[in-house]
Amino acid sequence: MLNHLPEQWLQSRRDFCRSGAFGLAPIALAWLLKQDDVLAAPVKPNIHGQEFSLARRATDFEPQATAMISLFMQGGPSQVDLLDPKPELNRLDGQKFPGTIKYDNAAQASSRVLGSPWKFRKYGECGTDVSELLPGIAEVVDDILVVRSMHTGVNNHGQSIHSMNSGRTQRGRPSLGSWLTYGLGAETQNLPAFVALTDPRGIPVEGVLNWSNGWLPSLFQGTVVRPQEPRILNLEPPASRRGPVQEVYLKYLRRLNEQHQADHPQNSDLAARISNYELAARMQTAAHEALDISKETKATQEMYGIDQKDSQEYGTRCLIARRLIERGVRFAQVFTNNQYWDHHGSIRTALPAACRKTERPAAGLVKDLKQRGLLDSTVVHWGGEMGRLPVIQNDAGPGKVGRDHNTYGFTMWLAGGGFKRGGTYGATDEFGHHAVTDVVNHYDYHATLLHLFGIQPEQLVYKRNGREESLLDGQPGRIVEGLLA
Amino acid sequence: MLRYSLTVLIVLLPIVLSAAGITFEGHVRPILKAHCFQCHGEAGEKQSGLDLRLRRFMAKGGESGPAFDVNAPAESLLLERVRSGEMPPGDDKQLSEADIRTIDAWIRSGAKTARPEPDEVGDGPLFTEEERNYWAFQPVHRPAVPRRPVSSRERTPIDAFILNAMTPGNGFAGDADPFRLIRRAWFDLAGLPPSPAAVAAFVDDRSPAAWERLIDQLLASPSYGERWGRHWLDVAGYADSEGYTDEDRVRSHAFRYRDYVIRAFNSDKPFDEFIREQLAGDEMVPLPHKNMTADTIEKLTATGFLRMASDGTASSGIDQSVARNQVIADTLQIVGTSLLGLTVNCAQCHDHRYDPIPQTDYYRLRAIFEPGLDWKNWKAPPARQISLYTDADIELAKKIEIEAVTVEQERLQKADSYITRTLEEELLLVPEGLREALRTAFRSAEKDRNDDQKALLKEYPSVASISVGSLYLYDRRRDERAGKLDAERSVKEMRFVAETAKQELDKVPAEERKAIEAALNIASDKRNETQQTLLKKYSGVLVTAATLSQFNPQAAAELEQDRNTASELRSSKAAVDLKSYADLAAEIRGTKPGEGFVRTLTEAAGVVPATFVFFRGDHEQPKDKVQPGDLSILGGGKSIAENDASLPSTGRRLAFAKHLTDGRHPLVARVVANRIWLHHFGHGLVESPGDFGVLGERPTHPQLLDWLASELVDSGWSVKHLHRLIMTSTVYQQSSIAMAQAENGASLTPLYSSFPVRRLESEVIRDAVLAVTGRLNSKLYGEAVPVMEDEVGRVVIGQENLDGERKPTKTIALNGEEFRRSVYVQVRRSRTLSMFETFDAPTMSPNCDRRSFSTVTPQSLLMMNSDFSIEHSNQLARRVIDEVGEDVRLQVGFAWQLVFARAPTVDELNEAVDFVYSQRPLIAAADSTLKTDDASREALGVFCQALLSSSRFLYVD
Repeated sequence: MLNHLPEQWLQSRRDFCRSGAFGLAPIALAWLLKQDDVLAAPVKPNIHGQEFSLARRATDFEPQATAMISLFMQGGPSQVDLLDPKPELNRLDGQKFPGTIKYDNAAQASSRVLGSPWKFRKYGECGTDVSELLPGIAEVVDDILVVRSMHTGVNNHGQSIHSMNSGRTQRGRPSLGSWLTYGLGAETQNLPAFVALTDPRGIPVEGVLNWSNGWLPSLFQGTVVRPQEPRILNLEPPASRRGPVQEVYLKYLRRLNEQHQADHPQNSDLAARISNYELAARMQTAAHEALDISKETKATQEMYGIDQKDSQEYGTRCLIARRLIERGVRFAQVFTNNQYWDHHGSIRTALPAACRKTERPAAGLVKDLKQRGLLDSTVVHWGGEMGRLPVIQNDAGPGKVGRDHNTYGFTMWLAGGGFKRGGTYGATDEFGHHAVTDVVNHYDYHATLLHLFGIQPEQLVYKRNGREESLLDGQPGRIVEGLLA
Repeated sequence: MLRYSLTVLIVLLPIVLSAAGITFEGHVRPILKAHCFQCHGEAGEKQSGLDLRLRRFMAKGGESGPAFDVNAPAESLLLERVRSGEMPPGDDKQLSEADIRTIDAWIRSGAKTARPEPDEVGDGPLFTEEERNYWAFQPVHRPAVPRRPVSSRERTPIDAFILNAMTPGNGFAGDADPFRLIRRAWFDLAGLPPSPAAVAAFVDDRSPAAWERLIDQLLASPSYGERWGRHWLDVAGYADSEGYTDEDRVRSHAFRYRDYVIRAFNSDKPFDEFIREQLAGDEMVPLPHKNMTADTIEKLTATGFLRMASDGTASSGIDQSVARNQVIADTLQIVGTSLLGLTVNCAQCHDHRYDPIPQTDYYRLRAIFEPGLDWKNWKAPPARQISLYTDADIELAKKIEIEAVTVEQERLQKADSYITRTLEEELLLVPEGLREALRTAFRSAEKDRNDDQKALLKEYPSVASISVGSLYLYDRRRDERAGKLDAERSVKEMRFVAETAKQELDKVPAEERKAIEAALNIASDKRNETQQTLLKKYSGVLVTAATLSQFNPQAAAELEQDRNTASELRSSKAAVDLKSYADLAAEIRGTKPGEGFVRTLTEAAGVVPATFVFFRGDHEQPKDKVQPGDLSILGGGKSIAENDASLPSTGRRLAFAKHLTDGRHPLVARVVANRIWLHHFGHGLVESPGDFGVLGERPTHPQLLDWLASELVDSGWSVKHLHRLIMTSTVYQQSSIAMAQAENGASLTPLYSSFPVRRLESEVIRDAVLAVTGRLNSKLYGEAVPVMEDEVGRVVIGQENLDGERKPTKTIALNGEEFRRSVYVQVRRSRTLSMFETFDAPTMSPNCDRRSFSTVTPQSLLMMNSDFSIEHSNQLARRVIDEVGEDVRLQVGFAWQLVFARAPTVDELNEAVDFVYSQRPLIAAADSTLKTDDASREALGVFCQALLSSSRFLYVD
């Protein structure tokens, strides 16, 4: 025992292998240990903490979905003007609302009904009603499932965002992307497993909590792809240090490190550090390539509306999301800016503008994924944290009126990854205020999602403070059969 | 599959068993203890009547018959059950093949015991000789220093012990060169790199005492306490937040404990006293805690040690009983791993599966802390802090508070009047006939409203919703109204002017009217003199908004009224006004003398809670009552009384602390000495510093460990004495370059035959970078430097400043605080500084008994691309240019000295200069916006970045 070095003295080559490069934290190697070592080891008291990695993990059963792109419409798109037509509202337009309403903005509250200013028509073989504001969506309507009975129940942005994105109204819990990467690991170690693409005009309400890992290890935090350079922090140097500058820097650094290592040939950690810089450089190239849409054909770019001013920016991010998924990213979320869909006023101009920005790219994404055969395994989600009320807010003339928050019944749509193609699911009451038929709570949606990813919702747990935490957190989430293909 | 199971590799030495040597106590019982006792023997559990604790119980067997049969070993029930997987129940609990083979071999060799088994088995714990003889439980005896042939390499007894353990022919590497030595000593004792001046002074000092002088100098520097205090803070689980819940409340006052630790190391507070104060400082000071002396405050602050575990009990939405018991369990785990070096926490639910720690022992230890952490009479963190206010402070604060309350009362009155104003304004928008009814409905208390009133309010939500909290929304509405009023007014104004002009024209005598009309139709500069005179006479026809009051005072007055109304609507903002009152009250309160608090552990006087063994660790299933005590295997610490009548508190912790530090406890001094060794070499004499138990590592040099433990105690528990002993030894001063490589590779290199190469810890990397760039702020002590999340969610240093939607608002300047040493950076459990986390900063769960080091790509990416790396390397370049000017050779040489603590060789220098020159055109090409000077500075910046990213900087050798 005394005459040979124990394992710990040799800063092991395993350390080098445990590179979940994009986690902000170092990660662990338990999974790399030789299987028989693991089996032979007695259960040791938990004094060193658990170790985690982004290695791909087996699912509970055969998954249908392996990746997801969520187009997060922060602010709350008006369902009754887009995908959930309510003739009753138009009949009662301007009259007193016959039911009870819970308002968010009291001072501008009104009890007068606001009929939709826009016309609906049935499209596709499935005959889903789509507003004239969504001509692109009308074209892909047979590939998407419109869920009209969403419900989170807390009438504020923050709480409802957390419900949709992290399972509970409270701040501080891990987001959906964190749970999926925690449960499934990553398909590639060259790119971050969980990516958030933010809008150039700012980040959504609740800011960075939208892609927070909560109390999961920070390895599972979302990596932000920024709208401007450097697109991924720590992954690209500033302009003056790119390209040949960095190549020469790395070459010189290698030389310095090799000179130092020459004194300590037995120290494998020093050798690992040298290789590690090279690995990092390779990743940098991979990420750079993934974010570069210039190699996409004009036709593809047009499909995403990149040729049009209004949709150019959002289309670009949707296309990047597809390129990332194609290269093994597990979960990408494409955000709109702060309160973009929060149309308390001037809905007659603001809602069409929001549609022009996003709907062509969203439809293009579905088409593109389908053409490439990726739609079967990729979930696409479109929706926000709420919908809007059937009554007027800000009753100050047609140009000024808007609609207040409504988390009691709102609409999102889903495509691919095992979700039903075409048609609608669930219904709100005759005014579009409350989900009444086949209500889908955020936790039902999450249970169904995990199911499609091959995970038993109650099995995806993380031990903390002596209890098992989960995305559903004990809420009665059910796998909604009616959503499945 | 998705559940992670904890698997930690331990290196098991292959045990070659000669069948004859197999005994129950030595080989079979440990397997049964780990896997079977919980149901067959422990705490009266004898499922199916089977007790496996003694061979003779096994021979007797349970309901199914004897557990083994030496005559037909293969048919032994025990073997059958474990081979079939029936026992132990559960797929993940099966015995390994090796364990089964051991049991099989034991039975085949006659199922022997090492000695006659005890006749009586009482209720107390049943320890075997093997367990009692375990090395870590033996008293520390100061071993004799090995006598060896005289060797120039043997500087201290430590060297003798190390050399003695090496096989003949092996030895130390040569002494390290002075450059490496001084860098090693600085990082080791101060956690900082030596300055070029310090290096030069040391290298030039040829006197034999130079090394000792350097050590003394470093030990006397306050940086020493910051460095070694941090090591202890790891073990204590130091954090500036409570953890446990998502809220992760900030511990604003924890920093006093951190400062206490730093001060204790700096003053070389005897470690026994340090331990006693941390465990029982509150039992050493007088009551009440008022107008306290510095000594009292210090001792109370020390008990912060027992308040380091996560504590979520001040948060809502938690199960209080679970949370409280968790605090106690975590605290015991911290005490166990930090001072006893044992995983006593593993005996919380059952007897320890490997070490001789029965479950009752766990609760005896718990009983020591229960009066301070009494889960039945719990105090949440805010109730446990003690104010540092003196009586004079209290008086002054009271006076100021009265002033603030007066302002708040005015605010309430104001709020009432705003509600009334808003109500009246909103009522104006309601049909007149409903106003009175609506007013009455609004003014009625909710429970008193009748159905009609409720319906009416529902119909007019903008009336129903008026409240102090919603006034800001009505302010916005008043703005809108003002805007509308302005728009209406300008229309009205145009109308009034036109009407007045018409009236004035009508006043003109008919004979002149034609001429006036003609004049009015001509542009003003084209009018002739007559026309101008005429218009002067009847100036009213040229009336404008500005002159309206001369000709139509009534209309002008109406417009003025509207203007005033709009202005009133705009200016008188209820929310703004109310906020100004609140701000004023806050400002007044801000003048109170700053009130500091200490996080403490104290006991409620006169309360002596009972401690029970919890069945399976479940606090809802208390079983037998236990008395406070140390581990039974160590004799139980009989001196710990249930209640010391001479103290207001129970005195249990004080007695325990004295017992631990009496110099005879077999674990404490060994554990402390081992940690000191560990931090000098990166390796412990026991490699598992928090676990000296069976699953931990065995000491590589048991005699040296005991010798160091004795030295520690004999020196009056002086940690600095141990530093000196260790650092003046050859084992510490030797080179990190191994003398010769053994032919068979690493496995034959003896321990400590060269100095281990070590990577710097995350905090040290940051501190070292700040030091070489010249920006390190060496201010000592005080409140934590805040951390926050940046725009993408990375945790950086900064004061969080978010609005209600969590959008960042203006940056708050930190005024140099951002460059303070890492030990002062806030340790928020949910927000580890990203730079620290990337370089393996530990999570405190509940503490960290040993750091781990990884080599992963995020570290490379951070050094290659991050703001941290770029900003600091540019800063280093600026410093270099400032200090040595424009000569590239001088720049490069100075940067090299700053970063590596030595001058470059000629080759190194030439290569570096070439690098800088080669970078200049590349940088100019990469960024065409740069001027030549900027490109040159940038090139030097890239060079500095290469130095800071290099192993030579990130490692100590």
